Formats: sequence, C-alpha cells, structure tokens
Amino acid sequence: MDTELMLKLQSWVDGELPASEAARIAELVRTDTAAAALAAELRMTRGFLAGNEPEVKLPESREFHWSKIQRAIERAEAEPRESLPWVAALRRFLVPVSGLALVAFLTVLSIGIFNRNPSGTGDELLVEEETLSRHVDTTTYNSQANNMYVVYIINKDVVDDDPMDLDSDLDEDMDDSVIQ
Amino acid sequence: MATHPEIPEVSDEKLVRRAQRGNMPAFEELVGRHRDKIYARAFSMMRNEDDAVDLSQEAWVKGWQRLKQFQGESSFVTWMTRIVINLCLDQLRKHKRQRAESIEQLEDDLGGVERQMPAVTVNPTEGLERTELRARIDKALGQLSYEHRTVLILHEFEDLEYKEIAKRMQCSIGTVMSRLFYARRKMANLMMSWKREQQS
Repeated sequence: MDTELMLKLQSWVDGELPASEAARIAELVRTDTAAAALAAELRMTRGFLAGNEPEVKLPESREFHWSKIQRAIERAEAEPRESLPWVAALRRFLVPVSGLALVAFLTVLSIGIFNRNPSGTGDELLVEEETLSRHVDTTTYNSQANNMYVVYIINKDVVDDDPMDLDSDLDEDMDDSVIQ
Repeated sequence: MATHPEIPEVSDEKLVRRAQRGNMPAFEELVGRHRDKIYARAFSMMRNEDDAVDLSQEAWVKGWQRLKQFQGESSFVTWMTRIVINLCLDQLRKHKRQRAESIEQLEDDLGGVERQMPAVTVNPTEGLERTELRARIDKALGQLSYEHRTVLILHEFEDLEYKEIAKRMQCSIGTVMSRLFYARRKMANLMMSWKREQQS
C-alpha cells in the first residue's frame, strides 16, 4: 500500500474522505487484509485516546495564579493601548505618502524660488555653486527662453589675480591693514 | 482572594456577561474554574511546566482583554482553549526557528520507520486501569515530535478537522494528514512495546 492510499484510508476512518472516494476505500478495506488491519489499528488508537487525555493540575494555588494574572492585567491596562488595526494600517499608508508630498512640495517651491529673477521674466537663472575644491568655482546660467544651460568653471588660482575679483582684493586689503 | 459568596453558583455564561461589563471577580471565578484545563492544554503542547504556566497566564490576560469579542458561539472554556493553543503554537514556531533542522528532525517529520511497521492487531491498552492508561498516553505523547504531538492533540482532544488544524499550524492539509498518520502509528507501536515489556 503506498503512502497516498494509507492517508486516504485514514481520512476514511476520520470521516473526512469525499463520498466519491469513500466507496472505493470501503471496498479496499473489505477485500484487502493489510488495509483492513491498518484501518483497525487507526480506529483502535482513536478509541483509546478518546476521553483519556492525561490529567494535569496547575502547580500553583488558585490565589497565587490569580494574583499573577491580576497584576499582569493591571500592568497591561496601565500601558498605552495599542492602536486599532485600521488606524495602524492608515498610519502605515500615510507616513510614506506624506513624506512624498513634502518632497514634492519642497521641489515645486525651490523651482519657483530659483526661477524668479529681478527682471521679472522668471525664465533666467544665474547661480553660483559652492564647491569643495579650493581651486575651482562653478557658476551655472540657465535660460528657459533661449533653451540654454551654461556652466562656467573658474580656476581660482588664476582668478585670484583678477582685478575684478572683489573678494580676493578685499582679503588682500584686510591682510595689508593687519600688517600696517 | 475575596470571592463573592454567590458567584460559585452562577453559570459560566452569566459570569462571562458580568466580566464583559468589567466585573473582575466574575472573571476571577472563571479563571478558578478552568485554570487546570487551560494549563493542561498548554502543558500537553509544550511539555514544560514553566512554559505552560507562563502561557496559560498569558492566555487568561488575553482572554480578559478580548472578552468583549466573545460572542458565545462556543463555550467560554473552548474559546479560552483556542487562545492558549494559538499562544503555544506561536511559541513552538519560535523555538523551531531557533533550533537547527537536523536530518533526524526531517526524518521524524516524514514519518521514518513508522510507515514500514506492521499494523498493531492486539489492543495494547486492554486491561489497563484508566490512570495507568492515561499515564502511558502521557509518556507516549512525550516521545512524539512537537509537530506530531500537536496534530494529534488538536485532532483527538480538540476535535478539530484537518482543514482547521492546517490553518492553525500554517501548513497544508496533506502535511496534517501525514503527521497525524505517523503520530497515530507511533502511538500504537509505543503502547504495544510497553505492553510486551510488561508481559515479559
């Protein structure tokens, strides 16, 4: 007898086999000695287990057991209550959504700010980028009207000598004043 | 413990209704009435006194917290038993995740040698006193793997159908059938071997 047939035999003993298959198994049990012996053993095991569950007593007095339960209940009630499941689900949904909304809002806001220029056309932008390099500065110019985006890369080592560089002049003046 | 004198006369149903309104002494009486049964179920599944005490206590706390959800479709003690069973299953799953799967464990799940054994044709419990029979059943349960034991308990003692057991144990109906089959076969063979030992 293969495993599948043995399990069907058990289902038949437990009354869980569909009627369509029950007749076939009943016939097998009637005609096959091994099937009949197995069915009898399964029934016998069910029989001696029924109503004979081992009796176990709680190894604590009624009072002590209750006092522990009571304390645990009081502790649990003192703690803040868990949120209702639908509130927790809503929160799980709202946290990332509100995060995304905030990012979108800040993006739109920053575009609006950077696209504004004094001429009022609102389509030109000149931005000086701060770089970490001591030797290079970058400045970008963006004109939506001309569909143009320009990046100036300035070598600081050269520009330091540029008379137009007010910052370097100022630094030098200050250095001079200190010396004087 | 200050038990109200009239409470022991009151039915479970009435006590449950009182407890649902927040009456703690009514709940205390319910605990007193059914504490052994709830502990026994936890012990039969866990096979460990400390775990069984802790889990049965936890079940009572959960029972109190969820009491308003109890609609009386089953008896109160059946409802409480379901709570403790679920807690035990959660705990056993945690234990199982923690221990490494060995080849022996896998063989045990699959049934191993039980499949090959000839059917037990003589009733090995015949002539046993009930106390002795229960003691042997307890000993045999202790020798089953927790998967086999749990399926056997849920089917034979809790009268759950295959489908319900599969749902609670988070496995397929086929697995339940297979575990139940080998648990029964092992049980029958253990009982038979003890009978032979007694006779020799």
